[in-house]
Amino acid sequence: MAIDWTTFTLEVINFLVLVWLLKRFLYQPVIEVLGRRQAGVARILEEARRVEAEAAERRAQFERRLADWEAEKASLRAGLQAELETERGRQLSALSRTLVAERERQRAQEDHRAAEQRRELEAQAILQARRFATRLLSRLAGPELEGRLIEVFIADLTQPPGDERAGEDRFAGLDLTALDEEGRARIISAFPVAEAQRQRLAAALTARLGRPLPLDWAEDGSLLAGLRLTLGPWQLNLSLADELDAFAQAGNHAG
Amino acid sequence: MESLPALFHLGPLGITATVVTTWGLLLILALGSWLVTRHLSLDQPGLAQTALEGAVQAVDEAIEAVLPGRGGLLLPFIGTLWLFVALANLIGLVPGLSAPTGDLSTTAALALLVFFSVHWFGIRAVGPRAYLRHYLAPSPLLLPFHLLGELSRTLALAVRLFGNIMSLEMAALLVLLVAGLLVPVPVLMLHVIEALVQAYIFGTLALIYIAGGMQSGPEASPATTSPPPAVPVP
Repeated sequence: MAIDWTTFTLEVINFLVLVWLLKRFLYQPVIEVLGRRQAGVARILEEARRVEAEAAERRAQFERRLADWEAEKASLRAGLQAELETERGRQLSALSRTLVAERERQRAQEDHRAAEQRRELEAQAILQARRFATRLLSRLAGPELEGRLIEVFIADLTQPPGDERAGEDRFAGLDLTALDEEGRARIISAFPVAEAQRQRLAAALTARLGRPLPLDWAEDGSLLAGLRLTLGPWQLNLSLADELDAFAQAGNHAG
Repeated sequence: MESLPALFHLGPLGITATVVTTWGLLLILALGSWLVTRHLSLDQPGLAQTALEGAVQAVDEAIEAVLPGRGGLLLPFIGTLWLFVALANLIGLVPGLSAPTGDLSTTAALALLVFFSVHWFGIRAVGPRAYLRHYLAPSPLLLPFHLLGELSRTLALAVRLFGNIMSLEMAALLVLLVAGLLVPVPVLMLHVIEALVQAYIFGTLALIYIAGGMQSGPEASPATTSPPPAVPVP
């Protein structure tokens, strides 16, 4: 088969035309679409990278903030721990002081209770002693003992003031200015007093007081023995019952 | 050897069946391209668009594999070569039509275009002096061999395609005449494969020749060059 030059030339032209046509209607549009799509994909990728970078930045920021929070939390916790330690120490100290005070209070209460018991025992002992002494002296009491007590009273009255041999001066505080002219002295005895002894007692009183006083005599068996002299607001006791009462009261006061 | 008879005349020009068939292919390809690319969608490509984009990208990647960064420049020529030769080879399967590539005038025209394309793209890539100097490398004594190589490979390009397609058509015709109506079907299947393979070989050889021309100067950096793919040459 030989080359037909007309066909050869036309085929060259045909192919060149075909190249132009396909470039114009096929390759160019497809390449443009592909390019636009690749540009779109590139934009999306760029946007995705930007979002990723932003997310990474936010994540880093969040982690930094978290670290700051953790540090702050640790600091606050340390501060709170220190405060708790301080508060615990303070409360332990206060508790210790309270315990010491409570112990002191209990000890004081115990001492007070013991003192009360001791005082009560002493009072009971004094009461028992008084009863015992009362029973004993009731059996011993009689006119003779009373007479001796009256003699002791008369001796005390006749003792000059300031004489220390007589012991306590029972009449040091007597003030007869409070008695009016009609003032009377009242003498109570456990047994009837003999007339002679009455006169000696009146004489001793007159000598002691500096003026005579009318005397009213009475008897009271509860005195056991001895007498009780009443001068206005004053009362002088020289009886076993009064002495026992004084003993009991002195014991209570001493307790 | 005699050429095909003219079907009609346009003035002094005798129009053969090869030219008419080529015009028909031209029309089909132009109309088809226009129709397919008329409504290309950016976001939701259809099946045809996806296939078309895949095909164009495959051609572009094949060129980029040989000449990195030159896909946009060579795509129209190389892509059209592959497409036209493949269709021209296959059109012979249509009863009553003959493949344009079974005509030596067509294959010679294509080979001549490849020949000039090699120099055109080579001079564009490295400049005329550097391009012409490569014919004297490594020694001016080799200039005749270079020239002979240029002519022989162009001739081989034309004759190889013409011979293969003509022989395929003749074989199919002989089998049809001898064996009956349906017997040549397997032969026709072989025709399809052979047509596609020959189109691939023709386009790839053209690409390699053009790549050789564009990389012939000293400006061609090693980074932009790559070894050409192995092409079976029957």
